[in-house]
Amino acid sequence: MMDRNTTGHVLLIEDNPGDADLIRLRLVEASSDLEVSCVNRLSSGIESLAQKTPSVVLLDLNLPDSHGADTYRSLLKKAPTVPIVVLSGLEDELLATKAVHQGVQDYLVKGKFDSKQLARAIHYAIERQALLISLDMSRKQQLQFKDEFLSHVSHELRTPLTSIHQFVTILLDGLAGNIPAEQREHLGTVLGSTNQLLAMIDDLLEATRAESGKLRVELRCISIGDTVIQAVTMLRAAANEKQIRLEMTVDNGLPLVSADPERVLQILLNLIDNSLKFTPAGGSVAVNACLSPQDPTYVCISVTDTGRGVSPESKHLIFERLYQDPNSSSNSRKGLGLGLYIVQELVRLHGGRIWVESQPGHGSVFSFTLPLFSLSKLLAPIVNSQGKWPDPLVLITIEGTPRLQPGLPRRANLRLQCMDILRSCVSPDKDIVLPALTGEDGSEIFMVVATADERATDILLKRITGQFQRSAELQSRIEIRVSAHHLRPPQPNSDVPALAQLEQQLAEVINRVSIPVRGQQPSSPNSEFDLILSKLADAPVRNSN
Amino acid sequence: MELPKILIVDDDPELRRGLNLRLRANHYDTAYATDGVSAMAMAQKEKPDLIILDIGLPAGDGYVVLDRLQENASLSCIPVIVLTARDPQYNRERILKAGATAFFQKPADNFELLGAIRSVLNPRWPGTGMPQPS
Repeated sequence: MMDRNTTGHVLLIEDNPGDADLIRLRLVEASSDLEVSCVNRLSSGIESLAQKTPSVVLLDLNLPDSHGADTYRSLLKKAPTVPIVVLSGLEDELLATKAVHQGVQDYLVKGKFDSKQLARAIHYAIERQALLISLDMSRKQQLQFKDEFLSHVSHELRTPLTSIHQFVTILLDGLAGNIPAEQREHLGTVLGSTNQLLAMIDDLLEATRAESGKLRVELRCISIGDTVIQAVTMLRAAANEKQIRLEMTVDNGLPLVSADPERVLQILLNLIDNSLKFTPAGGSVAVNACLSPQDPTYVCISVTDTGRGVSPESKHLIFERLYQDPNSSSNSRKGLGLGLYIVQELVRLHGGRIWVESQPGHGSVFSFTLPLFSLSKLLAPIVNSQGKWPDPLVLITIEGTPRLQPGLPRRANLRLQCMDILRSCVSPDKDIVLPALTGEDGSEIFMVVATADERATDILLKRITGQFQRSAELQSRIEIRVSAHHLRPPQPNSDVPALAQLEQQLAEVINRVSIPVRGQQPSSPNSEFDLILSKLADAPVRNSN
Repeated sequence: MELPKILIVDDDPELRRGLNLRLRANHYDTAYATDGVSAMAMAQKEKPDLIILDIGLPAGDGYVVLDRLQENASLSCIPVIVLTARDPQYNRERILKAGATAFFQKPADNFELLGAIRSVLNPRWPGTGMPQPS
């Protein structure tokens, strides 16, 4: 067994020369054709890993540059696929179990194993690791297959549904002659069911994407109130039809949040629609947005209904995939049971959380949180621990005036496209792309804080302008103006922390850029810009730690 | 006054028929093509003001058509709206990068599709649906 299985390269990370020699001896006893390299620091071990991947790492936990559980955690982070066997001087069952749970393959106590046992431990560690890797790979393949399969099926299902949708709307719009009221009503039912089927197909795709981590969220700086109003407006008719009162309250002066407006709308529509589904005629559904009482760096949005409520045992299951309330009438069960699962995943991707409170028989409250937009959080990585930014910084603004009618659905695509182009021009580790803003006049404003000297700024400006111009299609849709604004380095002996200085400068530049666009008075806090500026002005001076 | 002409490229006869009805009711002239090759021929012959293009086509799919339109000096200025049942997640970006003006997944909302057609055809007179005064 030993001869066959222990051939390979062992990396021993051990700082005690006596222990290292002993382990080497055990290894030689176990197998003659084993290549052993030994280093005495974790950093050297990580370097060695980068050059040549060993079959196994034997790891002492207490090294000159790392101690305890941190040692294997750092190593797992650098080399998640290499099997690690911990060699410890300490017989600590708790630590051993924790280590194994966190990804270490075995935990041996020094002086308590002979060469045969060591060889066996190494052998099984390698086998287990290989098994884990292949399991993980097949799981990923399965998800990929599922995603592709559903994408294909959805395409095939959409084709006949398109035909139904097309001709039903032709009939309903009277393009094939007038139709009597009763027939119109029946056609309305057909159209409703068609749309439901389409929504189910979309849900299936979204749920699969959530599973394989492919849901995309494009964070912007948005006013949550606008999105709440939009969602409530869209569902007003449905609520009236069911004779349910649909109300909303949005706290005054709520700060902006960092979120994807289309996704937040999707979340809200889903939650409100869900509440409408389970609330009887004469009841009410209320949407409320306020600063989170638990954590004021979040906004909390809740949807309260006077429906049947959620039983305590269902509370934990309700966000699971395919969950359907067993007690609901068939009329309420008009989906696949994926809506709340997708909503939960979307909230999670925004960095918020979602939960439900309910008194069965009296209704339920679904609440979720979204993080407030914070320039300082975005900019924090630029400022180092000495309160400086190491390289000269420049704020590049790209102002785009769409040549199209505002409010078209294409507008979102346009933004996405511009953001994609911008990201392709800048360096992801050095530059920070700020969330896009929409000015009062409907212009789109994209911004990057870039690391650059004068010459590099020129190159970057040319590259961005060139990329925007290269796309003939973008040219026809948006007129852009690119400009650069140099930012002063932080004043060393100032009372104002470097981060706050940077924020102030950005606010000044943004102010300069945004106001001349349409000659609006800066006092009217309608644009996202002005809102940001007012928030910045209100914000207390932050510590830079 | 001459009506704006829209070339419908789709291999599904039902879709062509339905879209034709809808467009004519909104005062557009229409022409058809059913595959990639005839799409190019019809674009040359009819010089449409706008092309509504499917992606899954025989004899050169929609991407090929988009490329060929871009390469052709006299056709590259014709705006293209892609209307396909394909998954936006995998296609939207690619389609827009290939030079399409807009992407709609089938079935498109009629109101939105017509709005996009209007704004593409009359960029300076958005939303009116009226031909641009000369």
